[in-house]
Amino acid sequence: MNQDSQISFEAIDGSQAGDGGVKHGALLSRLCEAMFTQDPDEIASIRDEVIEAAGPDVLVDAIAVSANFYMMTRIADGTGTPLDVGTIEPSAEIREIVGVNDFMSRREASR
Amino acid sequence: MVAYTTELPIRLDLDTSHVEVASRWATTGSWWSGVERVAIVEEVRRARDADDLAPWEAPSQLDGLVAKDHLLPTAVVDAIWRITNHPGTLTAEWHASILGQDVNPQAYVELVGVVAQANAVDRFADALNVARVTLPEASSDQPLRSNDNSAEVTSHWVPTAQVKGPNVVKALSAVPFEVESMSLLSATQYVPMGTLLSDLVSDQNSLTRMQIELIAARTSKLNECFY
Repeated sequence: MNQDSQISFEAIDGSQAGDGGVKHGALLSRLCEAMFTQDPDEIASIRDEVIEAAGPDVLVDAIAVSANFYMMTRIADGTGTPLDVGTIEPSAEIREIVGVNDFMSRREASR
Repeated sequence: MVAYTTELPIRLDLDTSHVEVASRWATTGSWWSGVERVAIVEEVRRARDADDLAPWEAPSQLDGLVAKDHLLPTAVVDAIWRITNHPGTLTAEWHASILGQDVNPQAYVELVGVVAQANAVDRFADALNVARVTLPEASSDQPLRSNDNSAEVTSHWVPTAQVKGPNVVKALSAVPFEVESMSLLSATQYVPMGTLLSDLVSDQNSLTRMQIELIAARTSKLNECFY
């Protein structure tokens, strides 16, 4: 990662944490949340907000990224994929900040 | 042929990848015929569109939810609903219970691949409020149903081949056709595998890499995926 970027991992925890140093971060986080709840009115509203703030290209590409992780999460959790050994230690602090250590899906590869 | 008809600017490569993956669903795989694979996608759609069930509620156990003459085995239908709607609740014991109902371990891998892909492609369409991709006419050719004997259960619940790379890429390696489909979608929906570890400030399409990773992480957290 570029050392000049000031990124806050709290933004991964929820849109209420702000942009996290990422342009339109809070808005994109809310888009993810709307896609998760699948509330049609909420999604329609956030679509309009994203288009107005960032443009339709960003809306389409952002939805595509989020959609991709509906695939990746199901592959990981459907197959019992453990966290890679080389990732366990470097990710420890981030995992604590983001709040994932208590997930039922926690699996770590053996050293 | 295009997947979507809309005024929204869907990149050609993205649209094409959805057409291609839908075509792959209709193709006979290693363990499931094209007809069965399309039935899997249709069941994902039913699972997504149905009223919420608790994770422990199997649709096959609820009156009228699953047709008695369903093309797919009961255990497979139940697995599709659970993986689709409650992926963060899956356990090794649950996986074992599915295999215990005569589902071959590598057939299960192919199932996970198709279910996961369908979830991605349809979530995309639904979020944009466009019609879901049309499912092509499916092949009724019978699959070989031959185990890849080089695949073994080592780090995952499922058998994996001896391949290099992140564990999530290894996950479907017992069924290479599904690894290809996953890679095809990831390249256009996320970033190509080869650029995964590139400088994180590079721009990708209309999003910065930082925006991409925020979306990826937020979505994963919402789905309660530790990995």
